[in-house]
Amino acid sequence: MKRGELLGSLEHIILLALVRLDGNAHGMIVRREIEERTGRNISIGAVYATLERLEAKGYVSSFTGEPTPERGGRAKRLFRVEAAGTRALQISDQTISRLTAGLKDRWRTI
Amino acid sequence: MSRSSPPTFACWLLETVVPTPYREAILGDLIEEYTLRTESTSRFIASRWFWSQTCRSVPSMVWTSLRSRNCLISISIAMGVYIFMGTLKFAADWMISKLVAPDQATYVVLAPIVFLTTTAIGGCVAARIRRCATIFLALIVMITVAILIDIKVCSIPVPWWYQFGFLTLGPLAVIIPPTLFGRFKRPGSVT
Repeated sequence: MKRGELLGSLEHIILLALVRLDGNAHGMIVRREIEERTGRNISIGAVYATLERLEAKGYVSSFTGEPTPERGGRAKRLFRVEAAGTRALQISDQTISRLTAGLKDRWRTI
Repeated sequence: MSRSSPPTFACWLLETVVPTPYREAILGDLIEEYTLRTESTSRFIASRWFWSQTCRSVPSMVWTSLRSRNCLISISIAMGVYIFMGTLKFAADWMISKLVAPDQATYVVLAPIVFLTTTAIGGCVAARIRRCATIFLALIVMITVAILIDIKVCSIPVPWWYQFGFLTLGPLAVIIPPTLFGRFKRPGSVT
């Protein structure tokens, strides 16, 4: 991740959800995790489009699982966070922390 | 387990617009979740959820396709099929004028039949080559019909609903036949 380049909001949320899920997760599990924790009802298409972007950046990797009858004989695509993804999350969090430092008192007055 | 199949047209739409690397994964995820929802709620609510996911996923998937340049190939195929359709329609019109020699009233009846038949054949050909091409072919048909209506190419006076029929049924004739007769296997039938 280049200096000054931040993750997009959805990229950030999806990477965090993947870290929380701690291991291999497919799109619907990621979507459900985000909905349960943030209340955001994201479409599955948006989740996969973001995961594809993250994969192209090298932040996540994916592999194909076994097809199951519950899925109409279709295989899962499982994702996991790579070291570059964890680093990108750390940089984003540090940047946001630096920017929000000392702002909490101001928020109380708003 | 009870038999539950997700909405067929929604599945077809996803199979058409979702790029190949994620097609299996997205449809599989949706079908799995749909099955769980039909068991915990009603089939109607699960179908409504499936449709909402489909409609909201299509724009991001189309954008992903555009970025990966898959769409350029699909547009080229759609253009090629459109030229083939035009040739077919021209040949059919020529044969009708030679064999039947219709008057204006007969032509008004025959024109939609020829148009819908050729567009349906075009839709099937496009779907056979590449599923995503049918969407672009439907768009091309719709735009062409709209332009032809606007420049008043039809010399015979016809009511507005007749022209509106061409505008709406033309794209549908491209999309529906491949779904009905088609190329794609019925997804997610769980017994």
